[in-house]
Amino acid sequence: MQPDEGFTFEFNSREPVYLQVVRHFKVWIATGRLKAGQTIPSRRELAVLAKINPNTAQRAYREMEEQRLIVTEGNSPSRITGDERVLRSVRSELLEEAVDRFLELIRPIDVSTDELVALVRQKHAARNGGNSGHD
Amino acid sequence: MIEIENLQKRYLRKHVLRGVSFTVEPGLITCLAGLNGAGKSTILKAIMGLVPVDGGSIRIDGRETALHLTGNRGQLNRYRALKVAFIPDRPAMPPSMKVGEALRFMADFYPAIWNEEKARDMLAFFELGEGERLGSLSRGTAAKFNLVLGLALETPYVLMDEPFSGIDLFSREAIADVFSTGWLEGRGVLITTHEIREVEHLIDRVVLLKDGVVAKTFDSEEMRLAENKSIVDIMREVYRP
Repeated sequence: MQPDEGFTFEFNSREPVYLQVVRHFKVWIATGRLKAGQTIPSRRELAVLAKINPNTAQRAYREMEEQRLIVTEGNSPSRITGDERVLRSVRSELLEEAVDRFLELIRPIDVSTDELVALVRQKHAARNGGNSGHD
Repeated sequence: MIEIENLQKRYLRKHVLRGVSFTVEPGLITCLAGLNGAGKSTILKAIMGLVPVDGGSIRIDGRETALHLTGNRGQLNRYRALKVAFIPDRPAMPPSMKVGEALRFMADFYPAIWNEEKARDMLAFFELGEGERLGSLSRGTAAKFNLVLGLALETPYVLMDEPFSGIDLFSREAIADVFSTGWLEGRGVLITTHEIREVEHLIDRVVLLKDGVVAKTFDSEEMRLAENKSIVDIMREVYRP
């Protein structure tokens, strides 16, 4: 998990930093960049990597442990969970969050669900190299 | 813990500190912020015993250290030196000295608390050479070297006066990176700065000085969590007329 492998952190100043760290991990889990069972950096390493306060790194890991995203057994390094249910729920959580944000953005615009879905389908297909249909 | 209580300071007619109270806790980075002339540096110097105050108390791990309340200055200075490292905003060593000589001076002067290994690690981190003469260092490099001198002292508390002031972007970034390392681990850090954006993500607690008193104290993560506000947002609320 190194910056040159694309693991870079960006933070805004209004959300708690520890929750932003957790979100970064969720995105990497959902996109398969972090795999089930993969070892993650120590709290101290994470602080240096993300350029954050070690206390914040500690809090982010505690939060991820509570959400069962990571597991820490004894003195061994923390790992991404192997629990498939948790991993799947991360993906759906991120998707739902994104869709909620999208719906909030277009709320002022008068548009039917059918029109919206058609547009999403068309744009999504275009982005995926023109092959509409499944996925 | 450093406990500042009802601190008072006048300069001639100017009543700079009118009853300032706050604490510096071990393991936390506390930022003392305020507009120019709010008395931030005066507070740091008062903690170090470098300026006398007119009232109030400064307890360091339970012991009173305010000059007007205690006798035996020499003993007090020794106690303070073992407890608190002060990193000033300007060079503290003569310009004719070389980096390596300054390190040897520190090792001789503070044999009980000087950590040579930490000093070497930090020199390497900042890419500083031992042969460089202090007088020829750029402002940014001089600020980094000040940090090396202060942090290599194994004191439970560290005070930093404007570590980002008047230096280039990359030096500021390098100095900010120090806050993510283990060099500050477990220590109580008090920092004053104008460049709050540089440390937004790095500080645990904020103490806002205004009109000679503490206008607001808060935990930066809790503030973001509860009110979705950045430190700069809160400063605007407090300082904008």
